[in-house]
Amino acid sequence: MRVMVALATVSTGILFAGISLQAHHSFSATYDGNKPITLRGTIVKMGWQNPHAHLYVDVKNPDGKVVTWEVESAGPTTLMKQGLRKEDFVGAEVIIKGFLAKDGTPTVNASSFTLVESKKEFVNDEKTP
Amino acid sequence: MRRWTVAAGIGFALMLGARAISLAQTAPDFSGMWRLNQAKSSRAVVGNTPDIQFASQLEVRQTPTDISVTATSVRQRPVSATYKLDGSKVNVQAPEGITETGQATLNGSNLVITSRRSFSSPAGDVVVDFKEVWTVNGSELTVEKTRTQVGDTPSTQKAVYDKL
Repeated sequence: MRVMVALATVSTGILFAGISLQAHHSFSATYDGNKPITLRGTIVKMGWQNPHAHLYVDVKNPDGKVVTWEVESAGPTTLMKQGLRKEDFVGAEVIIKGFLAKDGTPTVNASSFTLVESKKEFVNDEKTP
Repeated sequence: MRRWTVAAGIGFALMLGARAISLAQTAPDFSGMWRLNQAKSSRAVVGNTPDIQFASQLEVRQTPTDISVTATSVRQRPVSATYKLDGSKVNVQAPEGITETGQATLNGSNLVITSRRSFSSPAGDVVVDFKEVWTVNGSELTVEKTRTQVGDTPSTQKAVYDKL
């Protein structure tokens, strides 16, 4: 019985470690440092989770078509340290500076963003290489 | 008459030679392999989400008339160009999907490189302007880079490279 419990514990640990590693990837593996981009749009959804919060932002293209972008940001703790709260986001207009995903999807990694009306700002100062 | 022509020709050639030597002596030399020194660079240059992307390594070859730069970074595709130092526009060899032109001039002890990068994105076509000011001091190269994009305020960051 003890062996079964130990095996189950180890398996669960490995499973969650895998999920965590998949979510906390390096910048250079996922994003294209040669493609900086600035976006302006409205936040329609907020994923307030570790290790990265995700903003979902509707951005209107020059041709009028609206594209929903996924914006990877720092985690909630870092955002809160910079004065941002979960309830600040949905419905707010935002300007994002970041880098495009390598896979060509509407996904960016935010190096900074500004909530237009409240003027609340996030600047990434993560030191992790 | 012929003697005067020959003498004038020699004089002119000597003058051009002296000017070339003078330029060669005063022009800064950026040649070499340079590696980014994270400790000496702006905080927003390093880490997972840089404000402005700087290459991890620069390979530079310089002659009196041009300068070749190959910029490489971890898991990022290299960008290279041979710039004419007279400031004429050249095509930058950028990764697939990116079009880039640039020009370089020596301004006193600085090298100034300006470039315009274009690429498509799900938000339409993107155009980004860069200006780099290079300063070399012995085995240390400082690059100050400004990124400007439509609808955005320009941002500037500084990176320091050590000579290998």
